[in-house]
Amino acid sequence: MAKTYDYLFKLLLIGDSGVGKTSILFRFSEDAFNISFISTIGIDFKIRTIDLDGKKVKLQIWDTAGQERFRTITTAYYRGSMGIMLVYDVTNEKSFENIKNWIRNIEENASADVEKMILGNKCDLDAKRQVSKERGEQLAIEYQIKFVETSAKDSLNVEYAFYTLARDIKAKMEKKQEASNPPGARSGAHQLRANEQQRKPTSWLSRCSVL
Amino acid sequence: MSSSSVEDIPDQCKDLFTQDGVLLKSCSGCSINELNSIGMLCIVRNPDGTKCIEWRPNDLITIDSDTQDQEWAVVNTIGRRQRTLSGNMTSDYATARARIIKIPLDDLKTFRVSRNNQQMQFSTKHGVWQMILYFQHGNAEIFLANLKTHVKTAKSRHERNAYVVVESNTEAQVLNKSFAELDIFTENPTDVVWGFVSNLRQRPYATTMEAFSKLTDIVYNGNEAMNDKRDMSEEVADLLTKSISAMEDTTTTTKSDEYEVISVKPTLPPRPCIPRGTPLSTEKWEGLQDTEGRVAEVDGVKQLIFRGGVAHSIRHAVWKYLLDYYPWNMGHSEIKNLQRRKTEEYFSMKLQWRSMTEGQESRFSEYRDRKSLVEKDVNRTDRTHPFFTGDNNPNLVVLQDILMTYVMYNFDLGYVQGMSDILAPILLLLGNEVDSFWCFAGFMDRIAPNFDMDQAGMKQQLLHLQQLLTFASPELAHHLAQKDSGNMYFCFRWLLVWFKREFSHRDIMRLWEVLWTGLPCANFHLLICVAILDAEKDILISKDYGFTEILKHVNDLSMRLDVDKILSAAEGIYHQIVSAQHLTDQIRVIIGLPTVGTTSQTEGDDDSGDESPTGSQSEAASHSRSESTSHLRSEATTVNGNGTENNDQRVLFTPEMDEVTLEYNGLQISIVTKTVWALLA
Ligand SMILES: Nc1nc2c(ncn2[C@@H]2O[C@H](COP(=O)(O)OP(=O)(O)OP(=O)(O)O)[C@@H](O)[C@H]2O)c(=O)[nH]1
Ligand SMILES: [Mg+2]
Repeated sequence: MAKTYDYLFKLLLIGDSGVGKTSILFRFSEDAFNISFISTIGIDFKIRTIDLDGKKVKLQIWDTAGQERFRTITTAYYRGSMGIMLVYDVTNEKSFENIKNWIRNIEENASADVEKMILGNKCDLDAKRQVSKERGEQLAIEYQIKFVETSAKDSLNVEYAFYTLARDIKAKMEKKQEASNPPGARSGAHQLRANEQQRKPTSWLSRCSVL
Repeated sequence: MSSSSVEDIPDQCKDLFTQDGVLLKSCSGCSINELNSIGMLCIVRNPDGTKCIEWRPNDLITIDSDTQDQEWAVVNTIGRRQRTLSGNMTSDYATARARIIKIPLDDLKTFRVSRNNQQMQFSTKHGVWQMILYFQHGNAEIFLANLKTHVKTAKSRHERNAYVVVESNTEAQVLNKSFAELDIFTENPTDVVWGFVSNLRQRPYATTMEAFSKLTDIVYNGNEAMNDKRDMSEEVADLLTKSISAMEDTTTTTKSDEYEVISVKPTLPPRPCIPRGTPLSTEKWEGLQDTEGRVAEVDGVKQLIFRGGVAHSIRHAVWKYLLDYYPWNMGHSEIKNLQRRKTEEYFSMKLQWRSMTEGQESRFSEYRDRKSLVEKDVNRTDRTHPFFTGDNNPNLVVLQDILMTYVMYNFDLGYVQGMSDILAPILLLLGNEVDSFWCFAGFMDRIAPNFDMDQAGMKQQLLHLQQLLTFASPELAHHLAQKDSGNMYFCFRWLLVWFKREFSHRDIMRLWEVLWTGLPCANFHLLICVAILDAEKDILISKDYGFTEILKHVNDLSMRLDVDKILSAAEGIYHQIVSAQHLTDQIRVIIGLPTVGTTSQTEGDDDSGDESPTGSQSEAASHSRSESTSHLRSEATTVNGNGTENNDQRVLFTPEMDEVTLEYNGLQISIVTKTVWALLA
């Protein structure tokens, strides 16, 4: 059978109920927005294959229900995730505060070196905004995670967010491959971690949001 | 065969058991870098015959172009390499090998299972947990069962859910001791056991069968005199299940070298094809009411509704009875009074939240959170249906008001996602706010456990579903278990909102009204799941769908299901189950039949040290048992009247049952001892 992709990445969207996870996914996979979307019960995923530096990367993006009590079920699907989008709603303070809880949830249930990104969604609703962009950036610095404000409705930065996350995963993976294959290598993974430490998240903030 | 490539590895270690998706939470003496990484947990036999527990990091991700077509083959792990690749890989294998964490079974002192069976701790030294692992997917049960076949354990007296390793035993020693305890053999037990073990090597099937038949005679066939010796030790049970699983493999692949063991698995009787009936019509409904509007023949009405549903023109009336808003035996004038009372009650509850000032609200975060959840969901409920469509649709306000009033009616439960899905079809049908509220509350009374904070109700149903499927469609259950889907999480949406997202509005009304009758048995909605899954069995198995594809396939069934076909199949499956010779107490409990106490696996086998789930499960089980007795009584009359079934008779016959049912990995494996004897003769 013909090879249809070079890489397959499993990504995950998490965040409080109603922040727009499904809308972001719908925007990315179908390039559409539907104001009357249904709430997510349980879990589902969508696929989109993107072209990344000449490689075909198949993204399998999992969308989970946001309400807290469903977490015992949804976390079962964190397994094997290589990248996680943490989504909050800029018009909802609580959803922003909860990002910390979601990060803790990831630490408990996902692989430690999973790539993460924080998305402040619904940035088209400026009049209703409760969380400033600066606070989002501050949180991102605190956790050393990339950050961008998005709008699923206006199709703002959604593509950018997924491409960035995918690119980071690809880079990490290729490094690991190199690290695990050099002739006579010892303890490849440890070297890899050392390299990673040097990649401090200062430069990316500037190119992050265009709002 | 995978074993040949294992030989390529210099160490020649053999994986006896592997489990993916295990997170290393802590480990004394290991590199901090490994902590919180995912890996594979294995039980390994070393070249010198000793065994150990190994945790292997999972993060050597590489592209494996040979297996490109498999969804997840692209993510290759060390464990996988070891098993499938050969040649040019020894150097990174050695590198990886150095990162593997090992605990020799000879050193293992204690282990403990906690956090809903998802966490395991291991200790090689008194008072120190050496390694803590978190089972990300599913739980530690299967690993635990396997581990117990390699070490002899006793439950710790000091710590809940902890096991002390008594000795790291060879299987023969375990057998020896346990058989001696059982006192089965008239000969010197030691000789018999050694004979058994050496025979097991040479003639595995015959030997195992022979041993079973002897054991099972005593353990399962109700030998009164043996009563006080019946507590077969865990080790023997484990050995048996292990051997059975080996044998089970051969039975599924039709022939073994030595025997044709086709009739070993008991099969369900053929599925009767029961056609659906016509909906309860206006004339019939009116005929069933007396002049005052009372309904005396409640069972009869329910039977009719179960068979064919309710004609749409009288749904708005009949649903109020089905959902316990109107009592069946109430006449027109009483109902008028009831309506008045319920209307007052509703509006007083509504007033409670409507009169909340902004200031109050700002200091009442729990209330605010619920309100905002309701608002979000109301805007996302059935908006494509004309009744709820458009921006300023007044019906959305009613939807919102009912849900908010329900928060005041049941503040402990509050609002949970999914409830708006439950309410929408009711409001759509009844239109009236007060009536819709009370019917909704009636429906919620039945399914409130679905919305438990700890999701215990959902987990219990998923477990029951798995058990029913194992009984009714064992190959599919086996396939799902193999594909890491034995927890049935992919059916979560079906169960949470009773298939609301899977059917059109018209069909969901039909399905719900049939389910509300409570016929033909308790938890019939689980048999609906079994029927849907069983219809997809061939696709799921023949295409060898894995974890991901199973979920996708099941999610994509939405709006493509035929409600009448499914109801008919589910009813057929019900009849298959209740008339199966090997019906177990476990299944009886789920579908609300009284237990008969002949098989032992209902309780007892849960030694996995699960804290809360076990507790709530047995609680709920006893609850459903008491609930079902009354239900059964009413059913018994109709059933006997039809002359099709007679439960009492089955109760009498069961002690003579010549099958053994054991549980293995959640699968029930039954063996007909007579067949075994016939084979051996
Ligand atoms: N204005 C605006 N509204 C949005 C945007 N993204 C989502 N929404 C709206 O926010 C609501 C919730 O969006 P969903 O995508 O369903 O939210 P979710 O995070 O998937 O929620 P759960 O499935 O309940 O966890 C919907 O009514 C969307 O129309 C956005 O970028 N801008
Ligand atoms: Mg969603």
